[in-house]
Amino acid sequence: MSAFLQATVYGLLQGGLLALVAVGFSLVWGVMNVVNLAHGAFVILGAYIGWGMHQEFGLDPFLGMFVSAAVLFALGYVTQRLLINLVVNGPIFITLLLTFGLELVMVQGMNLAFSADFRSIETSYAGESLALGSVRVPVGRLLAFALAVAITFLLVALVTRTRTGMSIMATGMDRGAARLMGIRARHVYALTFGIATALAGMAGAMIGTVGTFSPAAAGSFTLMSFVVAVLGGLGNMYGALAGGLVIGLVQAWGGQYLPGTWVNALAFLVLIIVLVVRPTGLVGKAFYAARLEV
Amino acid sequence: MRSRRLALASVITASSLAMAGCGSKGEEQIEGAASSGRLAIGASLSLTGQLAREGLLTKEGYQLCQDKVNAKGGVDIGGKKARLDIQYQDDTSKPDVAAQLVDQFNDQGVKLILSSYGSANTEAQAAVVERNGQVMADSAGADNKIFSKGYERTFAVLSPATEYASSIVKAIAELATPKPRTIAFLSADDGFSKTVTQGGIKTAEGLGFTVLDSQFFPSGATDVSSALTRVKGKNPDVIIGSVHLVEGVAIIKQARELEVTPAAFGETVAPPTPDFAKSLGAQAENVLGSSQWTHVTAGQDKYFGTAKDYARDIQAKFGHAPEYHNAEATAACLSFALAAEKAGSSDADKVRDALSGLDTESFFGRIKFDATGQNIFKPMSVIQIQNGKAVTVWPKESAEAKMIWPGTKQ
Repeated sequence: MSAFLQATVYGLLQGGLLALVAVGFSLVWGVMNVVNLAHGAFVILGAYIGWGMHQEFGLDPFLGMFVSAAVLFALGYVTQRLLINLVVNGPIFITLLLTFGLELVMVQGMNLAFSADFRSIETSYAGESLALGSVRVPVGRLLAFALAVAITFLLVALVTRTRTGMSIMATGMDRGAARLMGIRARHVYALTFGIATALAGMAGAMIGTVGTFSPAAAGSFTLMSFVVAVLGGLGNMYGALAGGLVIGLVQAWGGQYLPGTWVNALAFLVLIIVLVVRPTGLVGKAFYAARLEV
Repeated sequence: MRSRRLALASVITASSLAMAGCGSKGEEQIEGAASSGRLAIGASLSLTGQLAREGLLTKEGYQLCQDKVNAKGGVDIGGKKARLDIQYQDDTSKPDVAAQLVDQFNDQGVKLILSSYGSANTEAQAAVVERNGQVMADSAGADNKIFSKGYERTFAVLSPATEYASSIVKAIAELATPKPRTIAFLSADDGFSKTVTQGGIKTAEGLGFTVLDSQFFPSGATDVSSALTRVKGKNPDVIIGSVHLVEGVAIIKQARELEVTPAAFGETVAPPTPDFAKSLGAQAENVLGSSQWTHVTAGQDKYFGTAKDYARDIQAKFGHAPEYHNAEATAACLSFALAAEKAGSSDADKVRDALSGLDTESFFGRIKFDATGQNIFKPMSVIQIQNGKAVTVWPKESAEAKMIWPGTKQ
């Protein structure tokens, strides 16, 4: 029983981390209909910035992540305006190709700049854990989980309570109508992409704090984000959190009761089952799967 | 004007014929390597992708070998000096690309191949090498599986996979007091790591340890918490990970989070990598690991001197302390140089025969191959992280420090 509880706690925390990684990916896909294959590379870049801040200035990663977020917001905004905007109306294959190319350039760039060595942001507290009876709750992961939940609620507040957020949602729903209402779609898209990359940057700093990273890990973060976003569903800010928690739990429980090498297959199996039963994902909105851009 | 065009056309035709000739007469080209003063060797390397880090270290090892051998005028082939000319290609860490590149080298007449990094790449390459009648010096493919297929043209300078965890078990059996009783193996699920685990289990059982059920996780996993939770209840005295760096770091980090505290952790290839101690800081202390080579490995040769000389050369040329990936790459290249000298020829078949009979001491230890092409004659070293540095603790002859036991604060 205690092993089951331990697996559950760990799975939930791991799920929070996955949600944090995937939330930006889901946002861009939901609003812009762009599957950003460079998302994982932005996560890793965020991790490097958090690591650099810690190495150079001794900045705690929970402060360093704001630097990551700021730098990556600017980078994301500019990337969208100058690059992705060129193909945002194009067929999905073109956006896939462009973001895939961007991923290659970023990963190789980081290989050259930082080498392929594995890095980790070392703090005194991230490896510690609290005891709840026989269950251990790791502090670093707990903080990352809290951050994921906080960011999800902030995003919900942003899109429901602010003009900027509402214009993001409006553009996501119907770009033509949003333009007619005076919303500058180009700016909104760039803003959305910037927010997504900023969140990727924060997730990267957390990944660096609780684990290790290297440029080569970018692809696996993109893949995981994809699974989480599809599972959770698009068009709902709670989607990534729901998807992340389910994947985290499935992997933890699967690892506990099945041979450990099955966990990835199990995650995809759950994805398939959810898509068969609920094609829009756990909390997604059907509209986003079928919309047409004008 | 017309005559000028005609001349241009004939030049183009002549040069394309000459180029085509080069391709089809590759054999003759390589035969003539000694007389041309050049010994062409092909190396497909993982310079990008998942194995970029190890790929670069391998390249450095090959590069240093070429520089040192050429600094002495090259390899003496039948009284004539031939300079090493290693040609590099990037296989992007993918086995199928690594195999294709070996084919490409063959098309260019390059018959001597230095392997890529890792067992998966090397296994793919070995099949092509065999088919093409090339010969490969394997610097980093340790999985015994590669050598169980009856191949006759692949020779690994490094100790086989079965020795990786096995040597840690032997070191613990010999040096640990009080002697632990139970061992749990946590293993990545790739072919190489599984072979490592099987070798470790066999040795552990032979030495009288109780071996708990092994736990497997996907290769490259950053979350190994399930495996740790499963062994936690059984309180093993020792946890040995058959892992790469990523999983190795994850085991130590998450064991602390989950409060799994055996008397010691052993983790094959992760601890000898400097990134291990850098990523883990104090948590890395006293973790045991196994290494193909350390700077105190016994033996010397005419090109590189002793292991200490080699360490100094790597530091001077590349500005970092040597890793065993450097050394095994250099040793593979060295085995070609020595075999070509012994054969008195650069012909692939003759070099192959010379390699199979090679028996020499080197900075890398003894290089000698059994009938399957594995170097089972060189012991591995066991290292322990002490004060942030990997120090050799076993075998006793080359130990730099005593093994600290128990390795964790239980």
